[in-house]
Amino acid sequence: MMTKNLLYIQGQSCGGDTISLLSAEEPDFLTSLKMMQINILWHPSLSTTDGDEVERIFNEVIEDRRPLDIFVVEGAIPTAPLGTGDIYKVLGRPMIEIVKALAAVAEYTIAVGTCASTGGIPASGANPTMATGLQFHNKDKEGVLGENYRSRSGMPVINIPGCPPHPDWIIGTLYFIVEGVLKEEDLDYANRPSVFYNSLAHHGCPRNEFYEFKSSAEEFGQLGCLFEFLGCRGTQCESDCNNRLWLGRTGSCTRGGFPCIACTDQSFPQQNSRFFSTEMIGNIPKYLPKDVPKAWYIGITGLSKMATPERLKINSISPYPRKKGADSG
Amino acid sequence: MAKTITIEPFTRVEGDLRIKVEIKDNIITDARASGIMFRGFEKILRGHYPEDALVFTPRICGICSISHSVAASSALAAVSEEFVPSSRGQIAKSIVHATETVMSHLTQFYIYFIPDLLNRRFENLKGYDSMLERFTPMKGTSVRRILEERKRFLEILGIIVGKWPHTLAIHPGGITKSLNASEIFRVRGVLRQFISVVEELLLGMSTEEYLQISSVKDFESLFLAENGNLSDLGLFFSFAREAGLMQMGKGSDRFISAEAYLQPDGTSFISSGYWDGEVSELEVEKITESIKFSFFNFREESISPFEDLSEPNRDKPDAYSWAKAPRYDGKVVEVGALARQVINGDPLLREFFHICGSTVFTRVFARLHEAVKLLNAMDSWIRYLDTSESYYSKNLLKSSAKGVGITEAARGILSHWIVIEEGLIKNYQVITPTAWNCSPRDEKGTPGALEQALLGTPIKDENNPVEIGIIVRSYDPCLVCTVH
Repeated sequence: MMTKNLLYIQGQSCGGDTISLLSAEEPDFLTSLKMMQINILWHPSLSTTDGDEVERIFNEVIEDRRPLDIFVVEGAIPTAPLGTGDIYKVLGRPMIEIVKALAAVAEYTIAVGTCASTGGIPASGANPTMATGLQFHNKDKEGVLGENYRSRSGMPVINIPGCPPHPDWIIGTLYFIVEGVLKEEDLDYANRPSVFYNSLAHHGCPRNEFYEFKSSAEEFGQLGCLFEFLGCRGTQCESDCNNRLWLGRTGSCTRGGFPCIACTDQSFPQQNSRFFSTEMIGNIPKYLPKDVPKAWYIGITGLSKMATPERLKINSISPYPRKKGADSG
Repeated sequence: MAKTITIEPFTRVEGDLRIKVEIKDNIITDARASGIMFRGFEKILRGHYPEDALVFTPRICGICSISHSVAASSALAAVSEEFVPSSRGQIAKSIVHATETVMSHLTQFYIYFIPDLLNRRFENLKGYDSMLERFTPMKGTSVRRILEERKRFLEILGIIVGKWPHTLAIHPGGITKSLNASEIFRVRGVLRQFISVVEELLLGMSTEEYLQISSVKDFESLFLAENGNLSDLGLFFSFAREAGLMQMGKGSDRFISAEAYLQPDGTSFISSGYWDGEVSELEVEKITESIKFSFFNFREESISPFEDLSEPNRDKPDAYSWAKAPRYDGKVVEVGALARQVINGDPLLREFFHICGSTVFTRVFARLHEAVKLLNAMDSWIRYLDTSESYYSKNLLKSSAKGVGITEAARGILSHWIVIEEGLIKNYQVITPTAWNCSPRDEKGTPGALEQALLGTPIKDENNPVEIGIIVRSYDPCLVCTVH
């Protein structure tokens, strides 16, 4: 296996994807670089080079004097004003131009995080800087590299969304690339490696028994399901968070007691909607579980509520499972 | 002849920083610190539901995300009807907040700050070989160890707030998860493991022993390399003296800090104050921001953050930073661990400060010292946790109100200013620690704290101006926060 050069740049990012990457384990971040024989040409928070030396590395790569096997971008790219991207210049050049020039010579281009994938937070609401993702702007292929962009390997931009993404998703994707096994058919409709994004955040959620019987938490700090009242999108969010688990496999959003807000979704952060309460149309949630038709949802919900064990009814609105000796359900 | 040196991009700080200095006769005669990236969080937040601040503002920064959650939750509490937060929830909040700060302090030291000391400039100093062996990026024995242990320590966050960065667990009335007995035990277990690593690697003694040290004389007798302490702190202290860091980069001698880390007895671990030779009360209304040299439109004079609407203008003449210039009572102040420890009367830091002032050494050492103090305090906070109540208590937002939430992030005072009208955010302003430390000039032309620390610094070798990197990184700048 040959050493692979990796160049990592940050656009409009919070640095959180790098921070998440540093929490990688088995293999940890340093071991994984060694295992994959990845040579980091430059990373904004880990390298010792700065200033002119960075410019020289950029130029050598752009002029094709140094191979760029993997080009990673974290953060959205602003295009204001008027598509020029002048609002954000590094080394005297708009970031958008640097990204295009590096992407043009990269064997593989990876968008790490939701911002680089689809625009994310900087591109939301008023989008003051006309920010966008590398290949996508939300659901549309209108990112800075354009609909037809292909890296030299022939692949489109590989998106690893998540706010932040799990370190496994980033390192796993690098591994598939280095091993030469990642093919276009391994990507889903959003150009994400399907192996990480083809299940739901809901899968493996410890509140699933409550979900099944629609016994729901009425406020935070309680044990019940967060879907009915507290805004949880775990049944719609394509990720494997609750099976994979975060930070030493200790937690996840719903395990932390707060709703999944579907941060791997192309339209994250969802506009004009509540994050901490479930919006209803009549008495039906506005966003139903993935692929579940409304009529069936109403039917099943009615039935399961009739069958709810007493134990779940009580526990769903309690901070702790009810004490021994209470009536059984 | 004057020479201009521009360093951009500036590696190993969070976010995009450009440093431009002019050097004449080997002395820095002009210095400009620029934040060069902009996202517009304050504009993005306008029109949102107030509680959305808990989703958006942590995402300003991936390294001090919990501090933003804490500030946002306090700002929301300030615009809520009166309510009683969960006391266990509030302490759990202090624990995760402290976890983030300790991690930030140690990561900054081992990964961001120390590589500058491996510069060839220092190769003839005593201890250089040990420095290389322990601190070479990605390879040094201590660096590798801290990278491994760091993520193990973060399991505290996984257990209490589910994920990090960018948890949504922190709310005005506590946290969203009521911890059970097993989880409380695991949190304490992870903490004790990490404390033992810090004792072995950083201190070379127990935290109890370390925290007994209250004078510079005692500190020197224990930590100078020739006295036999082989710890990372001992190595750094001895090397810092040789390398001239005790005097390098003299900054402002005025500090501010805010209350942070509510403790079980109702007091705060960090108290608020203003230091100008002595401590006086912090008066929030004395905080203003100047945008004279920032890429924002419309006004000349400093105003209250409540009234600031932050209209970006990249083409404004004379402007050179996306950071604004916050001032306290019109004055430049410094913020961060040193400010907190001096204001809080820590005897060791006060004495070091009286001897050296705010310099590279005192700023860097204050972070390490504070990390040890926080670890020790966390252990006692955890013992207050039990299963007697929900860790969350509901608050009801007013439909029109304004309020401010202030706390301490790792890098210093962090304030969130919210104005809500008819149930929606009308204005949201964030003033970050690095805006205080790395601000551009204000309307009076007074340079910011970092700029002042650079001014007058002798540069030994213009072709290897390592002093600049050392001084800048001693402030632990977080530009992603600053240029939100």
